[in-house]
Amino acid sequence: MMTAPDDNPPFRKVLIANRGEIACRIIRTLREMGIASVAIHHPVEARARHVREADQAVEISGETPVAAHLDIAQIVDAARAVGADAIHPGYGFLSENARFARAVAEAGLTFIGPDADTIALMGDKISARQFAADHGVPVAPSVMPTQDLAEFTRRATEIGFPLLIKAAAGGGGKGMSIVRSAEELEGAARLAASEAQRYFGDGRVYAELFVERPRHIEVQVFGDGKGGAIHLFERECSVQRRFQKIIEEAPAANLPAALRDEICASAVRLAAASNYRNAGTVEYILGADGRFFFLEMNTRLQVEHPVTEMITGLDLVRLQIEIAAGRDLPFTQDEVSANGHAIECRICAEDPEHDFLPETGTILHLDAPQAAYLRFENALDRGQRVTADFDPMLAKLVAHGPDRAGATRRSIAALHDLSLLGVKTNIDYLARVLGHPAFAAGELHTGFVIQHKAELTAAEPDEATRDKVLIAAALGLRDFRDLILGVPEPHASIGPWRN
Amino acid sequence: MVLKLDLDGTVHHVTILARRPHLVLSVDGRRHVVEALDEAGDGSRRLTVDGAPVSFARAGSADGAIIRLDGRSFALRRRDAAEASAAGGGANVVRAPMPGTVIVVHKRVGDSVQRGETIVTIESMKLQMKLDAPRDGEIAEIAAREGEGFDKDAVLARLVATAEG
Amino acid sequence: MSRLQSSINTASADFRRNEAHNRRLVAEFKAKQEAARHARPQRDLDRLARQQKMPQRKRIEILLDPGTPFLELSSLAANMAYGGESPSASSIVGIGMVSGREVMIRADDPTVKGGAWYPLTVKKIVRALDIAMENRLPVVHLCDSAGGFLQLQSELFPDRYMGGRIFRNQSMLSKMGVKQLALVFGHCTAGGAYIPGLSDYSVIVRGTGAVFLGGPPLVKAATGEDVTVEELGGAEMHTSVSGTCDYPADSEEHAIEIGRDIVSQWDRLPRWEAQREAPEEPFYDPAEIYGIVPDAIKKAFDMREIIARIVDGSRFHEYKPNYGTTLVCGFANIWGFKVGILANNGVLFNDSSIKGAHFIELCNQNNTPLVFLQNITGYMVGREYERRGITKDGAKMIMAQSCSRVPKFTVMCNGSFGAGNYGMCGRAFDGRFLFSWPNHQIGVMGGDQAANTLAEVKANQMKRNGGAVDKGEIDRLWDETRKAYQEQLSAYYSTSELWDDGIIDPLDTRNALGVAISASLNAPLGPPGYGVFRF
Repeated sequence: MMTAPDDNPPFRKVLIANRGEIACRIIRTLREMGIASVAIHHPVEARARHVREADQAVEISGETPVAAHLDIAQIVDAARAVGADAIHPGYGFLSENARFARAVAEAGLTFIGPDADTIALMGDKISARQFAADHGVPVAPSVMPTQDLAEFTRRATEIGFPLLIKAAAGGGGKGMSIVRSAEELEGAARLAASEAQRYFGDGRVYAELFVERPRHIEVQVFGDGKGGAIHLFERECSVQRRFQKIIEEAPAANLPAALRDEICASAVRLAAASNYRNAGTVEYILGADGRFFFLEMNTRLQVEHPVTEMITGLDLVRLQIEIAAGRDLPFTQDEVSANGHAIECRICAEDPEHDFLPETGTILHLDAPQAAYLRFENALDRGQRVTADFDPMLAKLVAHGPDRAGATRRSIAALHDLSLLGVKTNIDYLARVLGHPAFAAGELHTGFVIQHKAELTAAEPDEATRDKVLIAAALGLRDFRDLILGVPEPHASIGPWRN
Repeated sequence: MVLKLDLDGTVHHVTILARRPHLVLSVDGRRHVVEALDEAGDGSRRLTVDGAPVSFARAGSADGAIIRLDGRSFALRRRDAAEASAAGGGANVVRAPMPGTVIVVHKRVGDSVQRGETIVTIESMKLQMKLDAPRDGEIAEIAAREGEGFDKDAVLARLVATAEG
Repeated sequence: MSRLQSSINTASADFRRNEAHNRRLVAEFKAKQEAARHARPQRDLDRLARQQKMPQRKRIEILLDPGTPFLELSSLAANMAYGGESPSASSIVGIGMVSGREVMIRADDPTVKGGAWYPLTVKKIVRALDIAMENRLPVVHLCDSAGGFLQLQSELFPDRYMGGRIFRNQSMLSKMGVKQLALVFGHCTAGGAYIPGLSDYSVIVRGTGAVFLGGPPLVKAATGEDVTVEELGGAEMHTSVSGTCDYPADSEEHAIEIGRDIVSQWDRLPRWEAQREAPEEPFYDPAEIYGIVPDAIKKAFDMREIIARIVDGSRFHEYKPNYGTTLVCGFANIWGFKVGILANNGVLFNDSSIKGAHFIELCNQNNTPLVFLQNITGYMVGREYERRGITKDGAKMIMAQSCSRVPKFTVMCNGSFGAGNYGMCGRAFDGRFLFSWPNHQIGVMGGDQAANTLAEVKANQMKRNGGAVDKGEIDRLWDETRKAYQEQLSAYYSTSELWDDGIIDPLDTRNALGVAISASLNAPLGPPGYGVFRF
C-alpha cells in the first residue's frame, strides 16, 4: 500500500470528520500524499491518537462526544477556519449525510465522497431499491413502505413467507424482524413501525422476501462521477452478530466465478447508472440457490475496506482523494487484479458470552503482533478509557494469505498473539469462529454465530492452563509478590518448618 | 495467608509452599515449581512453571488481574476478607454526624441494602446530607422519623449482616 | 574452614541401640506435644465451632507468611503442672514471619477453660514479652482469654514476675519502639483487657470479640446493671465510642488480614549486621544425631559429632584443639550466621575453663554470637583442682560469659549438672534462647550422686550418734532421693516450669537456632566490658 509522495498533491489540507482508527488510517494516506491533516475532537478525546497523529487538531463541542461529531455547521466552520480544502468523512457519523455533503460543497470545500444527491438517493432504502430495480439490479419481492398497516399486511401476505420487516429509514438492525406466518405479521409490523418512529422519526415500514440463511456479499465500486465505474471485487461479510458484521473477507468463499462476475457486473451497472463518484459499496444478500438481491448501497468507505486493499494492493483512501480532486480513475477494470485472500476481524469491547453486550474498561496493556501480511488498524492507547460514548469497535485485525485457509490460519495466530487487556473483548471469540469447521468449509450465512452458538462458547480451561493463569495472576499482585520476595533469610530458606 | 482468586465464579486458592531453592506455589493444593520469576507489572511476561516456559500478558486491575495466556484472556478477581470488608467494612450503625432533622427516610426495617445506598437524608445547619449504608446488610432498626430532630452521634439506623456474602 | 571428619560407624551395635533409644524419646516427645496441641474435650471444640471461631493454631497459620518457619516456644509448658489441665500453659508462643517481618506471636488458647491464665501461663507470657524486649521483636497478640484463673490467684497475681509484669513489659516494649498488635478474637476480660489496651494497634472481631475490665456477670454483681457483652465491650462500641480498639473486623479471617496489613506498615528497623555467608546444609546427615547421643546419661560422646550435624557444611574452625580438650571451642556457621560454639566433651578442668573464658572474649571482640552445647557434669572437684584454683578459673568463665555483649544461645544436649550449668550459659544467664533435647537432665547434681551424697551424710550422722548404721533406712533414703531427683531432673519437668524455651527434636536444632539467631539480630549489641576477673 505504500506509495511515493504525490509530486502534485490534489489538496493542501484535509479535515477528517471522524475519529478513532479510521481517522488514523486516513491521516496515514494523507501523509504519504504530502497533504496536511486536521483532526477534530470533543474535549473528552483531546489526547486521543488521531488528535496526536494529525498535523493539526480542532476542538469541537457538543452535549455528548457523538453529538459534536454530528454537528455539521461546527465541523464545516472548523474546516474553513483551518483553511482545509477538503473533508474526508470516514465511515459512520456524517459520512452518509447528504446535508453534510451539501454543506461542505456550499462552503466551497471538497467532500471526499459522492455528491449529495447520490447520497440522498441511496440513503433512502425505498428510492435506492427502486433505482436498483429500474437498472436491472435484482431486488427481493417486497411491499413498498407504508404507514397503512392493514394494507401492508394484506400485500405482505401475497408475497409469502418468510418475510423480513424493516424500517424504511433504518439501519443497523433497528426495527427489523423476521416473520414466518400470517398470524405474526400484524404485531411485528406494528412493533417495527413504532421502533422506526422512535429511532428514525419515520414510522414507515416495508417488507421483503426473507432469504433463509443468506450470505452477505458486497461489491466495492469506484465511479468517476461521469458514468465511468469499476469494481474492486466482492467482499463477504456473512459472519455477523446483532445484525452487525464482525468478520469480513475478500474474496467471498466458494463463490462460482460466473456468479461473482454477475454480481460485480450488476454493482458496476448501478454505479454507472447513478453517475456514481468516488467509493461505494453495493450490498447483496445471496441465497443458497444462487439468487442474489440488492440490499443497499453504502456511499462511503466501508469499515472493511482493508480486505479489498490487501487483495488488490490498492490504497482506497488515496483513490478516494484523487477522484474527489476530479482526477480520472487511474486504471481500467482489466488492470485490476486480486491476489490471495484477506480476512478482517473487528475487535469489539463486548461480551460474547452475554449476547455481545458492550463492555467498558481501561486499556491496561496492548501488544499486537506485527507481520508484513498483517494490519492492526487501531487508535488505542494504554490507559485509554473505553466508554459507552462511542461505538464498541476498538480495532480491526486484517490478515492476508495466499489462500483462504492461509489467511484464516494467520488470522487465528494473530488473534492468539494479540494482547488487549483491561476491557473484555471478542478477540478469543473471533478466533473460535475462525477455527470452526463450518467457517473453514465456507458454510457461511448471516445466522452463523447463532447456528453455532454452542460450539462457539468458550470451553472451560483445563486444569494445567488454569493453574498457570492463577500463578501468572498471583505473581502480578503486588502484595503477593512482596510475600515471595519480602521474606528475609534464613526464613526464606528454612521454609515452612514447624517444631 | 492464602490468596483467593475468583475465575469465572469459582474461587481458587494460591499460596506459597517454599521459596528456596525454587519458588513452589500451591494452586488449589496442586504443587507447582516456578522458576525465572517474571518482572513485576503489566505487559508481556515469561515464567517457567514445572520446568516448561510459559508466555503470557498481564495487566493488574483494581481488584485482581487480567491474564492472556495461550490465546485466551482471563479476568481474575481477588476474593478475600478485605473484599468482604469492601462489601461491608463499615460499622453496623448509622450515626448522626451532627445534630439536625430527618428529612427523608429512604429505607424500612427488613430492607436489604448495599454499602453506599442512602438510608436517610438529614438536614443540619441548612445543609442536606445523605447518610449511606456503611456495609451490605439488612436494616434492623430505623430510629429516625421524618421531621424529627436528633443530637450528634444519635443512632439513626442499625444494620445486621445478611448471610455470608 | 575445614570439614569435621566424622568417625561414627552407623552400622555399629552402639549406634543402632542409641538410635532406637533416641527415636523412642523423640516419639514420646512428639506424642506429648501433639496431645498438648490438639487433645481437647469435645465439648470445648464444639463450643469453638458454635462460636464460629477458628482454633488458635489455624489463626496463626493464616497470620503467618506462607511457606515460612514458625519456631514455637515452650510447647510443653505446664505439662507436669495442674494435673495436665493447662496444656502448653494454655497459650501458644512462637516466632514467625508476618508481612515480611519477624514477630513474636502470642496467643491465648480459648479451648482451655475459656483461655484462662494459669500461673505458668503468666510466666510463659512474661517470658514471651521478655524475649520480645531482648530481641526487639514486634508482638502480635491473638487475644481470646477469660482472664486469670481465679482459684490460683496468689500464684499469678501479686509478685514481681506475675500478672502485672505482662503489662509492664507491654509498656516497656512500646517505650522501646517495639510495636504490638492485638487481634481480639474473643473476650479480653479483667487484666486481659489491657493487652489490647496497651498494644499500639488493635483489631476486634464483630460479634465474638469483646474487651472489658469486668464482664456482664461481674457488672451485675457489682452495680446491679444489666448489660450485654456487645454493649459493654463489643467491636462496635470500642471502635466507635470508647476508642479502645482501632479496627472492627467482620470475621476472624478479616481481622487477620487487617492485622497483616497493619504489620506491613511497620518500619523495618536496621538489624545488627552479623557476619554471614550463604547457607549450606550440613555435610553429615543430622538424623545420625540419634545414633550418636548415648542411651544413658552417663555415657560419654564426642560433641564434635553433634556439631558436624548442625553447622553449615559440617565445617568447623576449632580453637586451641589440643588444649583444655574437655571443652570444644570453635567457629562455624548456622544458616549462614557466624557463631562461636562451646561444647562439652567432659568435666571442666582449669585449662578448659580458661580456654572457654578466652574464647568467649574472642567472640565478643569479634561480634560473634555464642552457641553453648551443654553436656556437663560440672567443674572438677578434689584437692588437686581446688589447689590449682578450679573455683577461680570457673569464675573467670562465668564472668566472661555473663558479661558477654553478643547474643547467646544454649542447647541442652544431654546432662547439665552443677556449676557447669552456670559457665555454659544456663537459664539464669540471660541467653536469648535456651532449648532442650528430650534426653536432657538438669540438677545441682545427678540423681545417683545426690542419693549417694545424702546416704553418706545420713550414715555419718548415725555413726556420730553412736548407733549402728541402719542399712534398710539408708537404702530407703537413697531410693526416695533418687526418685524425687529423677522426676525433677527430666527435660519435661524443666520445660513444664519454663526453665527453657522448649524441648526440641534434636533434628530441629539447626532450624531453631537459625530462627533464634535471626531474631536476636533485631536488638543492638550491649555495651562491651567485664567485671573483675580473679587471676
